[in-house]
Formats: sequence, C-alpha cells, structure tokens
Amino acid sequence: MGCQSSHPSAIPELEEIMQETGFSQASVVRLYDRFQALDKQQKGYLSKYDLQGIGELAVNPLGERIINAFFKEGEELTNFRSFIRVLAHFRPVEEGKSKETGRPEPMNSRLRKLQFAFQLYDQDSDGKISRDEMLQVLRLMVGIQVTEEQLACIAERTIQEADQDGDGAISFEEFATSVEKLNIEQRMSLRLLK
Amino acid sequence: MQAKGSRAPSLRALPFLFIVAALLGLLPLLHSHGLQPNPMLASEPPHHYPAVISGSEPGDFTAAPHDVSQEIRPLPNRTSPGHVKYRKAFPVLGIDYTHVRIPFEISLWILLACLMKLGFHVIPSVSNIVPESCLLIVVGLLVGGLIKGVGESPPILKSDIFFLFLLPPIILDAGYFLPLRQFTENLGTILIFAVVGTLWNAFFLGGLMYAVCQISGTGLSHIGLLANLLFGSIISAVDPVAVLAVFEEIHINELLHILVFGESLLNDAVTVVLYHLFEEFANFEQVTVTDIILGFLSFFVVSLGGVFVGVIYGVIAAFTSRFTSHIRVIEPLFVFLYSYMAYLSAELFHLSGIMALIASGVVMRPYVEANISHKSHTTIKYFLKMWSSVSETLIFIFLGVSTVAGQHYWNWTFIISTLIFCLIARVLGVLGLTWFINKFRIVKLTPKDQFIIAYGGLRGAIAFSLGYLLDYEHFGMRDMFLTAIITVIFFTVFVQGMTIRPLVDLLAVKKKQETKRSINEEIHTQFLDHLLTGIEDICGHYGHHHWKDKLNRFNKKYVKKCLIAGERSKEPQLIAFYHKMEMKQAIELVESGGLGKIPSAISTVSMQNINPKALPVKRILPALSKNKEEEIRKILRNNLQKTRQRINNYLTVPAHKLDSPTMSRARIGSDPLAYEPKSDSGNLPIITIDPASPQSPESVDLVNEELKGTSCLPPSPEEDEEGLVMHVMEPSSPGTDNVFTPGASDSPSNQRMMRCLSDPGPQPEPEEGEPFIPKGK
Repeated sequence: MGCQSSHPSAIPELEEIMQETGFSQASVVRLYDRFQALDKQQKGYLSKYDLQGIGELAVNPLGERIINAFFKEGEELTNFRSFIRVLAHFRPVEEGKSKETGRPEPMNSRLRKLQFAFQLYDQDSDGKISRDEMLQVLRLMVGIQVTEEQLACIAERTIQEADQDGDGAISFEEFATSVEKLNIEQRMSLRLLK
Repeated sequence: MQAKGSRAPSLRALPFLFIVAALLGLLPLLHSHGLQPNPMLASEPPHHYPAVISGSEPGDFTAAPHDVSQEIRPLPNRTSPGHVKYRKAFPVLGIDYTHVRIPFEISLWILLACLMKLGFHVIPSVSNIVPESCLLIVVGLLVGGLIKGVGESPPILKSDIFFLFLLPPIILDAGYFLPLRQFTENLGTILIFAVVGTLWNAFFLGGLMYAVCQISGTGLSHIGLLANLLFGSIISAVDPVAVLAVFEEIHINELLHILVFGESLLNDAVTVVLYHLFEEFANFEQVTVTDIILGFLSFFVVSLGGVFVGVIYGVIAAFTSRFTSHIRVIEPLFVFLYSYMAYLSAELFHLSGIMALIASGVVMRPYVEANISHKSHTTIKYFLKMWSSVSETLIFIFLGVSTVAGQHYWNWTFIISTLIFCLIARVLGVLGLTWFINKFRIVKLTPKDQFIIAYGGLRGAIAFSLGYLLDYEHFGMRDMFLTAIITVIFFTVFVQGMTIRPLVDLLAVKKKQETKRSINEEIHTQFLDHLLTGIEDICGHYGHHHWKDKLNRFNKKYVKKCLIAGERSKEPQLIAFYHKMEMKQAIELVESGGLGKIPSAISTVSMQNINPKALPVKRILPALSKNKEEEIRKILRNNLQKTRQRINNYLTVPAHKLDSPTMSRARIGSDPLAYEPKSDSGNLPIITIDPASPQSPESVDLVNEELKGTSCLPPSPEEDEEGLVMHVMEPSSPGTDNVFTPGASDSPSNQRMMRCLSDPGPQPEPEEGEPFIPKGK
C-alpha cells in the first residue's frame, strides 16, 4: 500500500469507476494506492512484469492465470480502470439489494463471480472447459508428484460428474450447477473490498 | 414388517422388565449387606474442582466396600477368634455378588441405556415427536422413581464420573469429526458467541437474580452477590451434549449447526474460569481489582493452555501413528489414549479439558488418517460414535434418576425468575451480538438464524454437575440451586427440544444438504482458495486466505514430512480425497447390491475384486450355476481373442509394476489393464478366476447402464468391469508408474492405447479391458 494516501481528485474517472464497480470512495482510493505501489516506474499502467513482482503470486499455482486475467486479450498493459474492474468481482454481495430491473447486472453478483472463475478455467474462451483444460488446472494445483494417468483419471471423472449434456466438456451452466453448494457469495468475496 | 413391528415392542419390553426387575431384585439383597446400591464409586476426589467437597458426599463409599467385602467373604475355613470351628459342606453352588458387584451394576446400567435406545427406534411414532433426550430423561425419572419406591436411594450422577468418564467420549467424537472448514470460517463468530455471550449471560443472570433475592419477602436475601454470580455462571453455559442430542435430529443447515455447537464447545473455558473465580471469591471477604485482573488473565491461561496441551498431544499422537504400520490392531487405541490423556492433563492443571480434547482431535486427525489403515479408521469412527452415543444416553438417564434422588428445595420466586431471566438473557445476548457480528461477516446472519441460535441454547448435564460440586459449607442454598438448574435443564430440553423441530419446519430454515461431496466441489474449492489468495496478494491485503495459504504451505513443507509415514507425506490433498471417494463408492456399490439386475456372476465377481485375498477359484465356481458358467466362458473366450490381438499390437515389454502404495492406490478406477503380458491369456482357469468383465455386449451394456444409473461409478468402461481393482500391486522399480502397459510411459503407442481405452468407444468391444486382473499375488 502506498505510504501516503492519494487524494480522490487525483484518481481519473473516479465517478464512473464508483458507479460501475459499486466500490465506496474509500475503497477506490485504497486500491488506487495499491495500483501506484505496484506501478513502480510510475507509468500509469501496469505490465505483467509488475504483477509478477509480487512474491506470493509466484508460488501460487494459479498465479499466471490470475495475472493474465487482468489483461485483455493480447494486451500487455492495464490501466487502473481495468485493474479495478477485475477486483470488483470480489466485492461482497450486498444483502437485500433486490434486482432492480433497470440496472445492469452488478459486477459482484454471483453470476459475474462465476463467470470470472469460469474464464480462469477456460483459457481458450470457447465457453467450455475441455478435458485438457481441466487437466492443465489439475496439474497446476496438484504439482509434480502425481502421474499423468492419475490426473487423466481424475480429470475424466470430474468431467463426467459435471457433464450433463454428454459433450465431454463442462459448459458454464454445468459449472454453475456443480458449484451450487459452495456458497460462492462468501467464498469469492473479500471483506476488504467493501 | 408390520407384524414384526407390532411384535417387537412387546418383545423389547421383556428385556426392559427383566433389567428393571433384576435391578430391583438385587437391591434388597444388597441392602441386607448394608451396602448402598450405588454403582458409581468416587474413587478419589476430582482434581478439576476443589477437593473440599469430598467429605460431604452423602454416604461414604470409599470406606464401605472394603469393610463389607471383608466381612462377607464366605471363606469356609475362616475362623474368628472365640467361635467354635465347624465344618461346612463344600459349597457346590454359591453366590458371591459383592465380587462382581461394581462391574455388574455398571454393565446393567449401560445395558439398560442401550436397550432404551433400541426401544425408541422400534417405536418410531414417539421418537418423531419427542427427541430422544427427553425420552431418556423420562426413563431415568421412571427408574429413579422405581428405585425410590422400593425404598432404596437411587444413584446420583456423580460429578467426577461425569467429567472423567461420560463427557470425554462425546467431546472427542465431536472434536475428531469437527467440520474444520466451516469451523474456521466462522471462528470469529463462534468465539464471540462463546466468550462474550456466556459472560453476558452469567453477569446478567447473576445480577438480576441478586436483585430478585434482595426483594424482601422471598426469604432469599441471605444469598450474596457472589453466590448469585456463581449460579449465573453455572447456568449460563450452553451444553454441548444437549445441543448435539437435539440438533442431530433436526438436520439443520451446517452453518447454524456449527455456530451453536461451536459455541457450546468453546464456552467451556469461560465456564471453568468463572466457576473457579466465583467459588474462590465467595470465600473472600472482599474482591479487589487485582483479583479481577487475575481472573481475566486466568481466562487466557485456561483457554490457550488447554489448546496448547491438546496440540502437544495431538502432535505426539500423529507422530506415533507414523510408526504403527506393523501393528495395525492397536492404532485406534493410540488415538483414544492420547486424546484422553490430553483431557486429563488439562484437567490436572485446571485448564479447559474440553478445549484440549478438541484441539488434540483436530490436530491429530489429518496426519493419523494418512497413516493408519482403512480398518483402523473405521474402528476409530465407530468406537467413537458408539462411546459417545452410550455416554449421551447414560447422561440423560442419570439426569432423570438424579432428579428423583436429589434433595430438592423448591422456591417459586427463585426458580421461576431464573427460568425467565435465562431465556431473556439468551435472546438479548444473541440479538446484540449478532448486530455487532454482522458488521464483519460477509454472509450475514438473518433473523431466522438468530432465532434458531437463541432457541438452540440448551442447558444440560454440565450445569447440573457443576452445581452438584458445590459444597454445603459455603453454599447452603445448594439444594435450591440444584433444583433451579434441573428445572432450567428440563425446560430447555423438553420444551425447546420438542418444539424446535416444528419451528424449524415452520420457519423454513434451510436444512442440511445430504449429498456427498463430489470431486468437482473439491477441485473448485481448492481452485477458489488459490484464486482468492492470489487476489488478496494483488490487493496487498493479508487476509484470511493469505494466512490459510501460508499455514498450508508450512504444513506441506515441514509438518507432513515429520508426521506422515512414507510416501503419503507427499500426497496432495486432492489425490487423497479422490482415493477416499473411490473407495467409498466401491464399498457402496457392493453393499447396495447395485448390481442386482445383472447376472449374479458379475456381482460376485465385483465383490471378489474388492477382496483380492479370497481365492477366486473357490469363490466363483460354487456360486455359479452351470449355465452361467458356460455363458461366461463363451463370452470370455470370444473377447479374449480380440483382447489378445490388441495386446499383441501394443505390448512389447513386460509390465512394470507400480512403485508405491500411493501410486497403486491411485490406480483405483484407472486400471483397466493391470495385467502382465506374461500371463497366459489362453489359460482358461485364469479366465474363470477373473471374469471381471462381463464380456458379452449385452451384459456390458447392462453394466454400463446400471452403473450409469447409479451415479456412483463413472460409466467409463474400463473402470467398471473389474469393479475397481483395489489391491496393491507390488512396488517395483521406482520411477515408472506406467500401469497400462509396460514400457516407457511416453511412448506414443502407449498413449494411444491409453486414450483408446479411456475413450468410451462406439462399440462395447474395446471396453472389456480387463480379463487379466492379477490373481491375488
């Protein structure tokens, strides 16, 4: 976190960001500080290299994928707005806020959270998690001790369990069904990001 | 079933009557020997609580048996001085009841408890309305009444028996099987309820009761503030036994269950501290600030000390289990003994025994489970369940008996106001704390949840035992306290226990989801954990996930290596989960007879696969009728040809065996071709040995359909034929894990075949996979 707090007026597009993401001003300021702290060369943008500099991410099995999620397809840099857009998915869901039909789906709704998670699985963005993609994720999480066949077996099993239409891959709906019981609203929320 | 059901109650009644009659019949016998019919002897005063009370127990038991037993031992040749020697006939048949008295009576009581439990389930109509705990208390009342009616004084639930023998199994069962994830996720909430909630209850109740006592005309003004506070602290603790007993039956959702239950467990530290505090203070003339500060400090010592003791014993237990691979039979004993020692050690130092027990169970479990055999695991599970069940039953029965047996002093004002204030304190406490907690929770607690939490604050036997420990010297009003405690317990267990189920239905509170955890959920959970940890790191925030991740990493790197034997120390959690799941499903498949539609041969076969040691030939042949046998042989012969061809295509080198139990265990379900090409495929006996694969297309389809129907097994073809090969193949050259075929795992032909086999082919043909299960090497 930056040692001095930025003034709200220093943040570009503050109003739009608050509108879009639903963050409070304090949160936006805090995240902006963090953005600047990460952006060591003060470019105003973050590159992948900046994010890779975070030590803990290096040992995180999903580190690469998470970093890539911040960057749009093919781009190398991300600005604050995109940065905070990704983080908006992890805002805790507000209770009692009924679905106002006029407004677009808020970024931290269950659906959006699931979509974000799904994207991390589905690297080629074809809308399905294929066996290979599942295998890759498993390999990342499980490490090197496990053999290929074991993993293949587990991946196979996973796909079969979730796959309802029999196409050998997990679509978004099937994914959503299989995590129904997992209480996504709680699991994918950071209290910090109110 | 109907006839059986109608006959059974009367049949069941017989043992009851027998038991009761035996009990009663023996009592006059004992009485004539001058003994009191109390099976519970206080061997020595409990260390946990001050020993000042030992002298005042009604009837000194420690001395009695010794004298009397000497007195009545029928030694024919014994002469007392002054008596004329006479010669008795040699006793062919004699009665020496005192010899077996204590174990006999203890067993009788336990038997009674178990038969009661049986009885309730045979008559389902009652147990649907009334929770079991209520029924047991009623039984206790009846038995107590009977005993009293005969003229004996019924046994009372002695505190040290309760704390040393009856309570630990229940707590250990709870701690060992604590759902750790939910517990840690809600730990903050639970702690606040346990600590702040109990403190609030104690002080609120104590204070109000003091105020009530001061009201003139009630005759209670001799009860001081400290005595009232002590009473408040005794009665304010939510009781884990009662909560377990009632909540188990209503199957409420896991969040509420863990909140109330966790609270009941963790408030033990607070109760212990408050109890000691007020008991000591009652002796003092004046309470200074120092005392209060010391009291405050002692809370931390008691709770953290208890946890520390538990952790130490847990680690030692885990470490011991690392070396038990040669003596599997005593593995469960280590778990029990170490946990019990943890409890006793904590009680030794006046620390919180319950927290020690929970901590040791929680710490040792992941490591012990990785080390011990499957059978030991089952043993532990069922022994714990059995003991805790029996304990619980006994506790409730004895609560009933003690109610009849104890001396009571009924004071309307005191008791009714206790009841009312208890309820009010609980409701206010929960409401206030929830308001505070909801500021910090991601998933807030709804009013419905709050109601259930407040309503689920049941009091139980711990309160009674603590009250029982008070001595008359310092607390003359002990009888009144006990009466009040019992009234509150009865009220909460009966009224709240009975009405909570319809209320839960009425309020449509979420119930527990019964479905098992799937591998999908496990994978996604871990995935999300990593994701959230990553996001936290990007935000620069050291939150919940960050520390959990650090702990996991530390665990994996250092702790697991020390505490888990052999290869399993490196096994990732996902793989362990997968194993467990596959095992469970295999066992379920067999037990449920899910293969019923299929020719019996196959089900016999699957069973035999689970138990590889059974000599296959002997098992299979007698079980099959001639026709079936012929059919199978024909099928096998046909498919054998095809398999042989495929083998010849792909195989070149003898199979490498698996290299470690882990790897081989991982083959569960992934092991279509665990064969050796050396085995002579044309050898018919071998085939009859393992007609693991239903070879005809029809039967194959049947299998697949059946298995597809039961969601247990994946319909992946190569897995179901052999019904999941369970046994371990001998470890071989390490470094090669190739199951399917001999040769390098990367050779393209192998990969092709792997893929081919794992592919549900268009025809059933490629599925037979497995005529070559290694025949029980």
